Amino acid sequence: MSPTAPILDLSDWQLALALLLVGAIVVVSMRQSLGLERDLLLGTVRAIVQLYGVGLILAAVFAAARWYWVLLILGVMIGVATQAAVSRLGKPLPGGTWIAAMALTVSTAVTLAYVIGVVVQVHPWYEPQYIIPIAGMILGNSMTSAALAGDRLQSDLRTRADEIEARLALGFSGPEAVQPMVRASLRAAMIPTVNGMMTIGLVQLPGMMTGQILAGSSPLVAIRYQMVVVFMQGAATALGSLLFVRLAAGRYLSPAHQLQRYLL
Amino acid sequence: MSATSELPLDHKVNDLVFEIDHLSLAYPSDRDRPAIKILDNISFRIQRGSALTLVGPSGSGKSSLLRCLNRLVEPTSGTVRFDGYDVRSFDPRELRCRVALVMQTPVMFEGTVRDNLCIRPAGVKGDFSEQRLRTTLDEVGLDSTLLDRQAVTLSGGEKQRVAIARALLRDPQALLLDEPTSALDPPNALLVIETVSRLRAARGLSIVAVTHQPDLVHRLGGSLLYLIKGRVEVLQSLDGPNTGAPLDARLQAFLAGELIPGENHRT
Repeated sequence: MSPTAPILDLSDWQLALALLLVGAIVVVSMRQSLGLERDLLLGTVRAIVQLYGVGLILAAVFAAARWYWVLLILGVMIGVATQAAVSRLGKPLPGGTWIAAMALTVSTAVTLAYVIGVVVQVHPWYEPQYIIPIAGMILGNSMTSAALAGDRLQSDLRTRADEIEARLALGFSGPEAVQPMVRASLRAAMIPTVNGMMTIGLVQLPGMMTGQILAGSSPLVAIRYQMVVVFMQGAATALGSLLFVRLAAGRYLSPAHQLQRYLL
Repeated sequence: MSATSELPLDHKVNDLVFEIDHLSLAYPSDRDRPAIKILDNISFRIQRGSALTLVGPSGSGKSSLLRCLNRLVEPTSGTVRFDGYDVRSFDPRELRCRVALVMQTPVMFEGTVRDNLCIRPAGVKGDFSEQRLRTTLDEVGLDSTLLDRQAVTLSGGEKQRVAIARALLRDPQALLLDEPTSALDPPNALLVIETVSRLRAARGLSIVAVTHQPDLVHRLGGSLLYLIKGRVEVLQSLDGPNTGAPLDARLQAFLAGELIPGENHRT
């Protein structure tokens, strides 16, 4: 990063002024009887507390720059992402948490290793300033897409159970019989990412690029990082949802090529 | 000659196509609720080339029982023997080609009737030649000009007969029919009934059918199994040595076209 302008630090007073924006929403909510005041206040408090907490932890981890702290943070991030992905399934899937954890860990680890080790070439590899935000961006994306894929898979298996059974009855294996549903859910999971690539930069500047520009980077530096981020998110999304959907589909099949309808 | 549980001991075992012994099925409990019992200690035998009709109220486990025969459903306990061997000793995929299933609502895949007839896993052998497709369509009473029609554009009755032809192309020894006519209007239902009973005679197929159609039972003969809440209520032969025996009143009512009490009749 090559700063071209000094970074403006935000004082407590300036933060307080920003808080006035929330006050404006509260007034609107009260005037229009939206009943959102409580949630707004809670949301505001949570935003402040959570961000402060994360800031303090990250500052400590950045200062310490120890690989085990970095791994711990990554572990917590994967745990939260797993929980979020699984909680969006219509019906709980037995072993779903482990499947999601596995899919997210592998897809994040592979993509992260490639980006950190081969593309950006960070030394040491656990340099928190790079690895943590990059991992966050990867996980955020693959968590959403895994949840999307899992939900679609579940509803497709349920609504198209007759079709699956018809294939099984014609001598197809379990994985062959659910292949069309696996494909449909992967497509559903990938489409937002692919569409996002189409309009990137035209409607709004991606968050990471915005951050870099605000922090003083040249837009020409920022777009290069943004490209890496977009491609890496695409890869992580594909890998994460592929693993999740394949493993999840397997949970609904038995070794004797049966669809376990009671799980749906 | 048909399903009876009192076969003489010296009876040749390989004359039996299905032997079902003490079969029970329960699904694991959902959260804190107890396991759901579907089938409870069911035993019966079916002789090669014979038919068995499963009747009973909806939810009595007929479809599940049918699916235990080609191992689409795994019984919790008990055994199913096909052709003298435990169904678990077959590769399930091969078993399902030999014991073909025709479902209530025929599933047509994308593409033409030809595509639907030829659909099969990679590496599956068998005769799927043009000539064979034509004769098989003829066997189920369909014209071979249908081969190039988009399968989804067929009528319900035509679809069901394509589904039967698709099963026949795998040279099955037994045909499982899950309410094959209940999604059809009466004329189409009649055509399917006629097709199935003709096939049984012509091919010596063993047939197990779930049905609400007395017509189909009359045409198939064999025996009737009346299932209530997963238990065998009545098992009675319609032909063979027991013909003289009076029919159970409930089955008599069913065969006379009256509804079995508690039945949700579908047309």
